[in-house]
Amino acid sequence: MQWIPEYKGDVPRVERFNFLSRFTHWGHTVTFLLCLFTGLALFLDSADWLAAIFGGFHGAGLVHRIAAVAMTIVVAIFVVGNFKVLIAWIKDILRFGLNDIIFIMKFPFEFLGFKVKIPPQTKFNGGEKGNSMLTPTAVIFLILSGYIMWFPAIFPAGLVRLAYPIHDISMVLATFMVCMHGYLGSFHPGSGESFWGMWKGTVREDWAEHHHKTWYDETYGDKASGE
Amino acid sequence: MARMTNLYDVSKCTACRGCQVACKDWNQLPAVIEPFTGNYQTHESTNGDTYTIIKFMEHEDPVDGIQWNFLKFNCMHCFDPACMDVCPQEAITQTEWGAVIKDYDKCIGCQYCTYACPFEIPKYRKREDIVTKCTLCYERVEEGLEPACARTCPTGALTFGERDQLLQVAEERVKFLRANGFPRATIYGKLELGGLNKLFVLTDTPDKFELPIDPKVPGQITFWQDWIQPYFGWLIPVALAGSAVSFVTTRILANKNGDHTEGGHE
Repeated sequence: MQWIPEYKGDVPRVERFNFLSRFTHWGHTVTFLLCLFTGLALFLDSADWLAAIFGGFHGAGLVHRIAAVAMTIVVAIFVVGNFKVLIAWIKDILRFGLNDIIFIMKFPFEFLGFKVKIPPQTKFNGGEKGNSMLTPTAVIFLILSGYIMWFPAIFPAGLVRLAYPIHDISMVLATFMVCMHGYLGSFHPGSGESFWGMWKGTVREDWAEHHHKTWYDETYGDKASGE
Repeated sequence: MARMTNLYDVSKCTACRGCQVACKDWNQLPAVIEPFTGNYQTHESTNGDTYTIIKFMEHEDPVDGIQWNFLKFNCMHCFDPACMDVCPQEAITQTEWGAVIKDYDKCIGCQYCTYACPFEIPKYRKREDIVTKCTLCYERVEEGLEPACARTCPTGALTFGERDQLLQVAEERVKFLRANGFPRATIYGKLELGGLNKLFVLTDTPDKFELPIDPKVPGQITFWQDWIQPYFGWLIPVALAGSAVSFVTTRILANKNGDHTEGGHE
């Protein structure tokens, strides 16, 4: 059984994500998962077995904080170093339209493996646009509420109390999205090349045209501005 | 076992702070020296090494003029302690006679209890990364002694005993005070938060002693603890189960159709 499609280097390929995007994506993956598992040790009402991996609850707390700072730095690197890409990403999310709605309506069928006809998508399809809105929002809330809980003495008590439910809600939403994103970006047969897009940076040209026709045409096809 | 409690009678307190010293002495807590802030109060509030303080409060009464109030301030040992509910490590427990105590080996210093407490009494002790508070000297009480603070009180402002009996004493004292120049004298701790295992006889309304008149566990804490934490996490297993189902069905359908080209979209 095939887990993810084979990487083909001998066919025409087009760039999907630049180095900094990929570096920060995977940096965020590692730090987010570290924060998640160390945090779950507390959220799951004292999961001793989970805390034991990190050397007990004090150890898990330390790893949680170190990973959280690293995650903040990774996010900052992306925002500062890749500002143009960030703006392009936001602009793409704002193009949310009819084709994206059709995508989201039909997606549950494709999710289970049925063949469906999907209208042309921009760089990020309807589902990816949803993920692009929800996950970063949740992560921003996680970071803000996390620092408030870390340094409660310098914040008003009401804000510290509000940080607990916000941290938990954001964690659950972000983790929900990360589970789906992790699966859809790898083992889901429909995702095809998208894993290589984030791992190596390029995707097969024919895949790009088939899956993200609008993006492909505007960037590499007939409608490219000729950079 | 009947509830055992401290009764603190403000009208008998001279603010000598003997209880503060006795508490430090028994619990072997180092001195914490805070800068002078304009009154006799030694510490802004309880802290990681100070379980009990005497608060000094001044206010101007339109009839009686300047009033100077004292209050021994420390853990109230609530009947239904919010700190115990939120503690993710279950480090906080309640003895059968009503003391709310902490197991410092289990405490991880997350400070959830500090912010769940309606009085913000538990405090963080940085050097050990734990949160500490008054224990009602449970280890003394269980050996048949009184708490250190009650034992040392020279004026009889602090007494220790069974709560039911002390409540009667308190009610009589309040009656006496009301008839003798303190018309607003009241008991605190009888009904507040469903009952506190700590009784106060106050010579004035609780707000004059910086005590909340109707203390409540903060809404954000109950919302988080009663709703978010127990009922929201299921979204994560749903995502994992959905992915697992899809992993199987996509491959079954692909085999059925004899279709090896990659379908759909990511």
